[in-house]
Amino acid sequence: MSAGTDHPDPDADHPVTGMDEVVHQRVRLGILTIAHEANRVEFGYLRTQLDLTAGNLSKHLSVLETAGLIEVEKGYEGRRGRTWVTLTAAGTTALSDEIGRLKRLIARVEPTGRG
Amino acid sequence: MTTGSIPAGSDPRRLLAEVRALAHRVRLDQRLTWVALLVLAAATFVGIAFDFFGMRVNCRPDGSCEFARRGVLYYWPPALLSAYAAIAVCYVRTARSRGVGARVLPYAITGAALTVVFTAAWVVAALYFPSHPHTFPSWVLVLDRLIAPWGTIGVALLVLARLERNVALLLFTLGYLAMVLLVLPMNDGWGSPHWGIRAAFAIPQLIAGAVLLLGAIGFAAARRRHR
Repeated sequence: MSAGTDHPDPDADHPVTGMDEVVHQRVRLGILTIAHEANRVEFGYLRTQLDLTAGNLSKHLSVLETAGLIEVEKGYEGRRGRTWVTLTAAGTTALSDEIGRLKRLIARVEPTGRG
Repeated sequence: MTTGSIPAGSDPRRLLAEVRALAHRVRLDQRLTWVALLVLAAATFVGIAFDFFGMRVNCRPDGSCEFARRGVLYYWPPALLSAYAAIAVCYVRTARSRGVGARVLPYAITGAALTVVFTAAWVVAALYFPSHPHTFPSWVLVLDRLIAPWGTIGVALLVLARLERNVALLLFTLGYLAMVLLVLPMNDGWGSPHWGIRAAFAIPQLIAGAVLLLGAIGFAAARRRHR
């Protein structure tokens, strides 16, 4: 019998273990959430909902795009340029993992009600 | 909203609440419930005229009548397909103008599939039952109402309520379905015998259309209030 079996590491399956720093950020989590719900979301909509400047939002989108979590598509509607953001399959998984981790974290710190 | 990484001590409850609030806001911006109900109400009102004038009625000297609702069969399949196409286009355009994608395709596909089911069932019934008269148990009549145009409208609306996660629409649709399946005699006709068969069938359709219209007005008013 190994020592590891007798004394399992209590932090081994802690929700913060393996946390994705790209996703575990309030604004980027918001972008992923909106893109997931909206199927496809326009840059201006994200900016309004998250109350960000264009430059700030661009930086976050760039981080998520580099990580392969979103796809950014630029186009025109009439003469107006528009940027659309779509969640990739990896982005959907990352969002679902992050929300699962947050829920487990809450369950871990929440009192059981038995005193 | 900060732009730095979430500090280790940040409250995950608050973070989850923010995520849920954002998701809810997006869903509200994707909704166009009142337009869907308005289009369906308009289709129902126009259908009354087709049913009224397209019905073949053959009354015998003993006072009994045979009737065939040809107007329903010819009007509703193209009308429903056009209505679902129009609703889908409105949803997509409006959502796009608001900066989000639309969640309407499964609704339109369900509506179109139910239209095919209704058409097939009514064609079979029109070919078979005139030469094989039957007296049906009440559950068959309820099933008949379910696959009739007014019933399929309700079933498809359940799908829309699920897609939009719209509890108000779910409650409205359950009420509407209870009305067209259990209360209104959509496949029997209603009213005083001396009004005639055509008017007897028109009244339940008029009520169903009025309920859809009232629903459209209610959801439009709720949307205005929300904005």
